[in-house]
Amino acid sequence: MFTIALKDIKLFFSDRRGLLMAFAVPVALITLFAFAFGGAGGSNSGPTATTLVIADLDNSGRSKILVDSLDALEEFEVLTTTADTAELMVRKGDRAAVLFIAPGFQDSINSGGAPVFELKFDSGEAPRVAILQGALYGRLNQFVGMQKADAIMNSRSAMPHTGTSDSTAGDSLLKDVMPPVSLAKEAERNLIMNQTALVQEKQNSPGLVHAVAGTAIMMLLFSVTAMGTAMLDEKQEGTLKKLLFSPINPSSILFGKMISVNVISIMQLSIMFIYGWLVFGLDIAHHIPSLFIMIFCTAYACSSFGVFLVSFAKSRAQVQGMSTLVIMTMSALGGSMVPSFIMPAFMQKLGVITVNYWGVQGFYDIFWRDLPMTDTTFLMRPLVLICIGTVLNLIAVRLFKRNVLSLV
Amino acid sequence: MITVTDLRKSFGNVEALKGISFTIRPGEFYGLLGPNGAGKSTTIGIMSTLVTPDRGGVVIDGIDLAKNPMLCKQVIGVVPQEIALYNDLSAVDNLLFWGSLYGVKKDVLKQRIDSTLKLFGLFDRRNDKVKTYSGGMKRRINIASALLHEPKILFMDEPTVGIDPQSRNLIFEVVEKLHKDGMTIVYTTHYMEEAERFCDRIGIIDNGTIVAQGTLDELKAQGGDKESLVIAGNGITEEKVAKLKSAGYTVSVHEEKLIFTSASLKTDMPKMIMACNENAIDIEHIDIRRVNLETVFLSLTGKQLRD
Repeated sequence: MFTIALKDIKLFFSDRRGLLMAFAVPVALITLFAFAFGGAGGSNSGPTATTLVIADLDNSGRSKILVDSLDALEEFEVLTTTADTAELMVRKGDRAAVLFIAPGFQDSINSGGAPVFELKFDSGEAPRVAILQGALYGRLNQFVGMQKADAIMNSRSAMPHTGTSDSTAGDSLLKDVMPPVSLAKEAERNLIMNQTALVQEKQNSPGLVHAVAGTAIMMLLFSVTAMGTAMLDEKQEGTLKKLLFSPINPSSILFGKMISVNVISIMQLSIMFIYGWLVFGLDIAHHIPSLFIMIFCTAYACSSFGVFLVSFAKSRAQVQGMSTLVIMTMSALGGSMVPSFIMPAFMQKLGVITVNYWGVQGFYDIFWRDLPMTDTTFLMRPLVLICIGTVLNLIAVRLFKRNVLSLV
Repeated sequence: MITVTDLRKSFGNVEALKGISFTIRPGEFYGLLGPNGAGKSTTIGIMSTLVTPDRGGVVIDGIDLAKNPMLCKQVIGVVPQEIALYNDLSAVDNLLFWGSLYGVKKDVLKQRIDSTLKLFGLFDRRNDKVKTYSGGMKRRINIASALLHEPKILFMDEPTVGIDPQSRNLIFEVVEKLHKDGMTIVYTTHYMEEAERFCDRIGIIDNGTIVAQGTLDELKAQGGDKESLVIAGNGITEEKVAKLKSAGYTVSVHEEKLIFTSASLKTDMPKMIMACNENAIDIEHIDIRRVNLETVFLSLTGKQLRD
């Protein structure tokens, strides 16, 4: 019994792929998800600064003080811009929400009125918006209260003497401006926060788009790798050698494989989106041309990745071990598993190097952000996918000649 | 038809071919024999354009292989040792695929596939997936796939390894027919009887060089026309073999059997048996081997063909 157990343990440790799957892949994924969900650094780690985009339409002394005060806080990193640019940032998905300081902000404070703010947001990014709104509301309320007090003090010092004591006059003025009401009501009166959804709720919920696009891309990466691995099987079974006996260029073998993987990838992605349409009502009918562009480019980039991975390896076992780790990592970073905005900033930045990121964002542009096909933000996604695919293909051709053909 | 001149090839520090040269005439059945690692696969690999030689050249049907490998590929057919087929495709689909790589028109290809399948006795199973075939049937399809573009030259690398007698006989019949029809065939095998049966000429390759070449009769003459006496028994030791050698006998041990060779076994056999008795070798079985390719091969290379 123990001899059998010992033999099995020995066999397990002699299998590199098994070890990789048992230890390295889970460790890598735990690391990724720990970072993604904020587990890194323990409880002492400070809050991560959120970039807060502000369009200051009042452009007054007090509004500038507000911007500086917010920027000085740990939780915000303030970026000021024009109203148009700020709106565009939300529409194109660069930011979940932007804060507008309405004209008359300074006057409202000086007169004891409630200054008006406007939060313009992408309703598809509700969790992010809610977090931002929560943090922002308290800070703004605090600031406005202090500014109002400051304005009262200034106006008091400018008032003619009435014969009453200083404290009595001040108290009466404070009571006029800030009557004793409950704290919540006081906050409500201190400021007015209007909310405008620039990107509206619609048939294609972001969750649905994410579920379809994210999953489809991740699974496509697995299947293209499996398809590519067939090339290594051909080497092992002798059909690759037999192909080389025939009057075709060795590169044609790889290109032929690339074409077949591309065609199957396009079919696979198309079926995933058709399924999303038939079962979950994903509105693909209004986005056919841009959807086709994204499907084509995503399939191209994913296929290239599969062929690249196979050309890189020398055996099927190598590919299988490597592909699981690489694809899971890419999918986690690129937003296939969980939306990328949940992750810390550095992981979001890392995600940019993955096929998943550009694919998922492109499909978001189509189904959620409703960007037209000619929009530069949208066009950048397929363009980057084509570039990634082409670079991977070029490397794959070189590696294929070195690693696969030389070993026939 | 094929001219091989001073072919050299090294893999790292291993010199696989040390400058071999030979010529194969049109319509000839040429056997390339040699033990494992002798260099015959490298030679076939170079002639079939898979391996690039370090030096030397090959001319196939008047075409310089180094200058125009694609044209050479059009005139040759290669039957690799491995059964290189797509198991999940039917025989017809496999043949359609392999034939189409050579640019054969589809209607012509379909006709050729039908006739080839009939030739190999597989027409009735043509639509079955190859994975349902026996090893011998797969070997037949493997050969058929190399014939669809009607090559002038056919390279066959051990085409009958591990198959049933029925398939082997069918392959023999097809090979003989192809030869009769004028196809030039280069054949490597470990089976001496195949080489003796088919080959017009044989090249024996060992350690990267051609050690002998010619017709079977010419090779027998080169091998000294020696016959062998194979003795199986108990008490065969290295010490006793050394004693027999010092007594003037040409003797070796293979698979625990004593092998005496002699130009005239008729005269020498009684002496050999006596010598065994004197050396306390308990004879259990005696076998006389007349001069054949196997004895020639042993005499020329000092090895059995299956070594």
